[in-house]
Amino acid sequence: MDLQPDLLTATLGIVVIRLDDDLTVTEVHGEIDDLAPGHDIRETMPVLYGLEEALAGPDVDIAMPLIQTGRNNDEPVSLHIRRDPETGGLWLFRRDVSEESAIHRQLVQNHNSLSLAQAELVKARDAAREADRTKTAFLANVSHELRTPLHVIIGGASILSKTGERRPDPSEVVEYATDIHESGILLLQLVDDLIDLSRSETGDLTLYEESCDLCTIVAGIVSLCRDLPEARGTRIDSDIPDERVGLTGDARRLKQVLLNLISNALKAVNGLAEAKVTVTVDPDGPRLIVADNGAGMTAEDLAIARQPFGQPRAAVRAKGAGLGLAIVHRLVALHGGDLVIETAPNEGLTAIVTFDPARARPAS
Amino acid sequence: MKTYKIVVLGDFGVGKTSLIRRYVLDEFSEAYRATIGVHIYKHLDSLEGDDLEVSLVVWDIEGAPLPGEQTRRYIVGASGAVIVGDLTRDDPFPAMWQAADMFEEALPGRPLCLALNKSDIASVKSPETVKRMARRYDCSVFETSARTGDAVNTMFRALARSILSLGL
Ligand SMILES: Nc1nc2c(ncn2[C@@H]2O[C@H](COP(=O)(O)OP(=O)(O)OP(=O)(O)O)[C@@H](O)[C@H]2O)c(=O)[nH]1
Ligand SMILES: [Mg+2]
Repeated sequence: MDLQPDLLTATLGIVVIRLDDDLTVTEVHGEIDDLAPGHDIRETMPVLYGLEEALAGPDVDIAMPLIQTGRNNDEPVSLHIRRDPETGGLWLFRRDVSEESAIHRQLVQNHNSLSLAQAELVKARDAAREADRTKTAFLANVSHELRTPLHVIIGGASILSKTGERRPDPSEVVEYATDIHESGILLLQLVDDLIDLSRSETGDLTLYEESCDLCTIVAGIVSLCRDLPEARGTRIDSDIPDERVGLTGDARRLKQVLLNLISNALKAVNGLAEAKVTVTVDPDGPRLIVADNGAGMTAEDLAIARQPFGQPRAAVRAKGAGLGLAIVHRLVALHGGDLVIETAPNEGLTAIVTFDPARARPAS
Repeated sequence: MKTYKIVVLGDFGVGKTSLIRRYVLDEFSEAYRATIGVHIYKHLDSLEGDDLEVSLVVWDIEGAPLPGEQTRRYIVGASGAVIVGDLTRDDPFPAMWQAADMFEEALPGRPLCLALNKSDIASVKSPETVKRMARRYDCSVFETSARTGDAVNTMFRALARSILSLGL
């Protein structure tokens, strides 16, 4: 190789550096900061650390077309290191490549940004489709749940409005009026649930927090549930500590959680067996446990039950629109709590609500 | 003191530059500026509660779903590798397998670790695949966030420690 370092430097602006086998600089041709004979080249060009072995061989020919160093985007350089086969000397050629790299970086940046944006769009499109499907299914369910009680009301009212011969007798009047009343209550409940659900979705469901006593709440709701018609035949037990279990929360919402869980349990046992409500104070936080010994459900059905309007196939088709568990889930989450459900077919169902221990202190 | 070369590999946009800049400079930028070629960072770190100093050059290599010829040349002389994947992607793993295979084939026996990045906004969707990769490459897996700094220093230091203990 007939190397003319000064010519390369003068004509192409290439910095040419000659190195010892221990990577000490012996000659520098051209302008370069912080480098002079006697220096360890790696100090100035840390890119060479790790390459010692590769540079020790007889046929060194290493090209690194685009190197930047340091915290700021210093100007990119191309490095080429070769061993001169005749003299055995090690030569490093360093060229400033800022200009051509600017074009390269535009291309890479455009290509990468475009394909990242495209991937994001595909994801957004899929999410929108899924949301659309969910919304359609939700609307279909709402309509269905509204129709059933509305039919009862319309049918009953039309019979009650009959006159003359076709007028219902007094015992039928009571029956139709009761049906209409119950359907009205069901509709009201459904609308209330829908409002709660949509508020929790938009983040507008606010808690009115105060210092509550879980035991008082449980005692009140359990006694109320024992009087419910669907509780007929079911024993509802409660196991609550003697002293108060303080919790910062929204008493009305906590009652709603408990009411929903107990009424689910009542549906599951269908007037045959027993349900039990327990309050405990664990190191993980205060716990509310509602257990029944009813039919239980498979993991698959449980996943359905957690969805708004999810009515598991196996579950007894009972009153209520199936918004209960979805709402319980959100109310518990709003209280910084956790809802775990343990169930299996024919093994009953246990809902465990664990509240954040930080909420265990009464509010000041 | 010997200076060790660590290479950071993975698809583009997964956060290689962000992880390195979080580790070396403790900074983060939301903006995406693609790396072209290689960017070299020299960093002096201490392990074992300051008792052990380690000097590293970290190679931030231009990202690609498949490691190309140039990447194969860039990893020469590396003592270890970080293979980065992006948890927000549908399937971050194929590009990680590719990079890990390439590194292992070129430099058998050198330690590598896996960074599942952007853990601040996404989580692992297929833990089974992660376990399989960890077993296959006998490596540690870190769920990192360059944005919050979660697990970033821990990961680079764990890699540095394996390199030192192997005496590479
Ligand atoms: N939320 C979040 N964003 C991140 C994280 N890490 C990186 N990003 C963002 O992801 C984008 C890509 O990050 P980079 O670090 O440039 O990715 P890269 O792997 O170096 O990309 P190439 O250089 O093209 O290979 C940037 O917009 C970063 O702000 C993270 O941990 N969390
Ligand atoms: Mg980068």
